[in-house]
Amino acid sequence: VEILQSGQFYAAALLTGALYALVATGLNLVYGTMRLLNVAHGELVMVGAYIAYSLFIGLGVGPLWSLFVGTAFTAGLGALLYLGLFQRVLRTGSDAGRLDANSLIVFFGISIILQNVAALAFSASPRSYAYFDQILSFADVSITAGRLIALVVALTSVVAVVLFFRFSTLGLAVRALIQSRDAASIVGMDVHRIYLFSVCLGFGLAGLAGVLVSMYESTQPFMGLPITITAFVVIIMGGLGNLTGGLVSGLVFGVLETFGVAVVGPSLRSVLVYGVFVVILLVRPQGLFGGRSVVK
Amino acid sequence: MMRNRAVEIAVGCLFVGLLVWPALTNAYLTSVGFTLMMWIALTQSWTILSGMTGYLSLGHVAFYGLGAYIVALGWGSLPIWLSLAAGGAASALVALIVGFPSLRVRGPYFVMLTLGLSELAKYSAVNIESSAGQTGRLLFGAPSLITLYYAMLALALIAFVLAYCVRRSKYGLGLLSIREDEEGAQTLGVPTVRYKLAAFAVSAVIPGIVGGLVVMRTGYFEPLPQFDPLISLTIVAMAMIGGNDDAPGPLLGAIFFAILSELLWAQFPQLYMILVGAILVVMVTVAPDGLAGRMRAWSQRRRAPEGG
Repeated sequence: VEILQSGQFYAAALLTGALYALVATGLNLVYGTMRLLNVAHGELVMVGAYIAYSLFIGLGVGPLWSLFVGTAFTAGLGALLYLGLFQRVLRTGSDAGRLDANSLIVFFGISIILQNVAALAFSASPRSYAYFDQILSFADVSITAGRLIALVVALTSVVAVVLFFRFSTLGLAVRALIQSRDAASIVGMDVHRIYLFSVCLGFGLAGLAGVLVSMYESTQPFMGLPITITAFVVIIMGGLGNLTGGLVSGLVFGVLETFGVAVVGPSLRSVLVYGVFVVILLVRPQGLFGGRSVVK
Repeated sequence: MMRNRAVEIAVGCLFVGLLVWPALTNAYLTSVGFTLMMWIALTQSWTILSGMTGYLSLGHVAFYGLGAYIVALGWGSLPIWLSLAAGGAASALVALIVGFPSLRVRGPYFVMLTLGLSELAKYSAVNIESSAGQTGRLLFGAPSLITLYYAMLALALIAFVLAYCVRRSKYGLGLLSIREDEEGAQTLGVPTVRYKLAAFAVSAVIPGIVGGLVVMRTGYFEPLPQFDPLISLTIVAMAMIGGNDDAPGPLLGAIFFAILSELLWAQFPQLYMILVGAILVVMVTVAPDGLAGRMRAWSQRRRAPEGG
């Protein structure tokens, strides 16, 4: 298998993996802290990508600035939705099943609103912009500048997120809350503030990933659902609510997918992805790194 | 008791109305009725598993697509009734095989597992079709709209009666007890595994046949639209907005959305979808137990002053 020796392959695999890790961490934060199933997560990536596109086309603002604008915009959207909506949804959860269902419906509603607003504003045809399209070569690796920047930013962000959750007080608080909400509020943590923070960070990471994706791929209003599903695959592999597990499995999954596509061809990509997902859920529903059993 | 009687009369009127609908209206409105009954049949059958046991399936489109696929494959070689029945039987069989391992996981795991399974089914169908060199299958000489209409009416009625009766049977109580407290139910002697599996299989049969009827109506089979995960999400939304607890709730949800889509979709597809999204969001915050739960609360409040 000579593909494993090419640097090209590792660059592509790392980029895919780092983006999966970012997107999945956002999903994991919202599920882990509040038990809300965010099926609109992929749409946030789409929003980030359209922000980069319209800032560049409309105002000539480069995508590097859009990294900040896109992240801030989706994070702000998250804050508004948390204060105006998610707080209420959380109160409807008389039992866990009802909360799962209600959160599915609310986020399904949000996702179709975002999709169709985007379709009205930008039409359904794919949009892309040419900015970092010169090709750079290092040794045997040729990569467009857009991909290289996306790779560097994505990896940096992944590392930053890991460090944040390992060492900062706020990061520890979020992890403690995910472990046990009751215990966290007993020791005096402001649970609602941490919820708000988790939504902002989670949504912001999705927006950031969207800006990065827009640097080398075209943007469409209905690109979100496959991203959402892939992100769920990743966080279930890593164990729901397990932030480190999700990051690692995002990277692993990106590498596996890139490798798998190289071997079996792109047409079987989805069969491979969902096949792996189903097998993992059936064999180890607690995730690859989870210790706690969820099977009865 | 009074309320039950009123609901039964209203539903009876609805089905009688649907029975004479094609005679009173034109072909376009008949096809609107066909779509409405399709959603009724799908949501009612979904309720039997997900409404009653609390295992939310986000993969019911897999059965719908499978039924459509079997009809398309058997087109011209098998009698139509046989491929329709085969679609239903194959769906039940798949539900039994898949259900045995997957009904062990609850909550979000089951939701995502069913979504993953339906996506796996979709892409498998896509790959099988493309490796067979098919870009789509045309179904020439399908039965007339009227024939399909009455077949769908029968299915919708069967689905409703099934969900209604199951809810009021001892078996239905067993399913509800699984939703409320699965371990407790098991301790008290409810055969939970068998009950869940049976509910999954029963709730898969009707989507399997519905898919077959719909593909004959469109006259064309293509894997991507027939296995579209949006169909699963729409089923969940309709059933939950109506109130998933009992058969009349999802019926209400299906009617509500079918009429809304008819009024708006053709002229303003995007605005319609935005409105649907807004309604979903608002409904969950205003009526977290669905339209049926809301109406129950109203009628209780109105009766309270008289009684007390």
